[in-house]
Amino acid sequence: MYRQGDILIVPVADAEVPARLAEEAGEPRDGRGRLVLALGEVTGHAHAVPGPGRLVREGGEFGPQLLHLPQGGRVVHEEHAVIPLPKGWFRVVRQREYVPGAVRVVAD
Amino acid sequence: MTTVPPAPARTAAPGTTAATGPRAVDWRGVVAATGPADRAAAEAGVRLAYRAAGLPEPGRVLWAASPRAAVALLLGGEVTGRSVREQVRTRPWESERARVHAESGPGGYAALWAATGARLWEPARALADRIRAGIVEELGDTPDVRLRLLDAVLGQHDAAWLAALAGRGGALDGLAAVARHAGWWWPYEDIAVICERPAELHRDEAGRLDRGDGPALAFPDGFALHAWRGMPVPAEFLAGLGDLTPEGIRAEENAELRRVMLEFYGYDRYLAESGAEPLHRDGTGVLWRIPLDGDEDVVMVEVVNSTAEPDGTFRTYWLRVPPATRTAREGVAWTFGLAADAYAPLHET
Repeated sequence: MYRQGDILIVPVADAEVPARLAEEAGEPRDGRGRLVLALGEVTGHAHAVPGPGRLVREGGEFGPQLLHLPQGGRVVHEEHAVIPLPKGWFRVVRQREYVPGAVRVVAD
Repeated sequence: MTTVPPAPARTAAPGTTAATGPRAVDWRGVVAATGPADRAAAEAGVRLAYRAAGLPEPGRVLWAASPRAAVALLLGGEVTGRSVREQVRTRPWESERARVHAESGPGGYAALWAATGARLWEPARALADRIRAGIVEELGDTPDVRLRLLDAVLGQHDAAWLAALAGRGGALDGLAAVARHAGWWWPYEDIAVICERPAELHRDEAGRLDRGDGPALAFPDGFALHAWRGMPVPAEFLAGLGDLTPEGIRAEENAELRRVMLEFYGYDRYLAESGAEPLHRDGTGVLWRIPLDGDEDVVMVEVVNSTAEPDGTFRTYWLRVPPATRTAREGVAWTFGLAADAYAPLHET
């Protein structure tokens, strides 16, 4: 698994990925042609994949989002070093914080 | 904590431009826009929206300095005629949505929503909810106040569906113009009331209202909301944060406010001044505990950012984890929804 700031990217075996997700069109790319895994509301800084691949959302507050990189790729962010990724499927997990009676998302 | 620039003139942010072409509007910027309205452009938008709905233009357009002031004005006996929100806002939106849905099919509509409105929905909804709650708190939770709030068109906070639907057939041009040039507005048969936008908006990276030294959202007439990382707090409470002491924090009886006090004061400073010893330390970070009388312990992991700051230092940050956490690795793993033995990053930046 790979970590870039408040994002954890966990490999998922191809066999575990539901067949319907393999067919889905996936998330649109942003204005710069990137897949945005998480976006900072104020700075606009993003954990993003610039190259080929697909991001499929599964709903729910913390995702999971599933990222498919058939040729491998890299994750970039304005404040973090690049993370190279091998080819395959990944679950993208947003970091969270404990709050008594609730849980809140972390945004770095 | 960042001040959002007053004009929505910056380059479109990621996620808003993909499908909207040369007439692209930075709808993410519209949600967060602050500063004086362009009154002429907003009034023209209001009149266009009435005409598009087949209604005569309102006889008068009144301005209010905040949504609270608008509701107060409407409760003050102004002769308004009936609300025309349904005709001006809801019907055009529904018919445009049906038209685009029919043209693009269910899958195409879902893709359009994902490319435009989906990521704006939650930030805009959260802001609107907080503004409504603030008005109810100040003007009273009465049926009259609630009914006037139901008559409002949310303008800039309707940006999610405007991003998806406006600029296509022209039916929503008036609504889009008001959203881009002013705040909330109230359409009635005889008059329209338009609000100024917030003068100040301070949010954190997750989009939550967040400011420790003043209002997180403030309108020009002083109507303001105070919040720390999204949690509403009283204005007087923030004013007292500058003089915090560990004793003062321990003496606070409201557990939520005590949490804010601890975060504002700094976990590191509090731990240093109270002579705390770490509970556990490993390759992922350090685990700390602050015992609190009459409340569950505050247990936190101290983590060092793997990427250096521009000045070469490594930023340390603190994340609260469940009180039963026993090791730093277990704590960090929990923040990603994993068990301690499952958390093993190969590469971190």
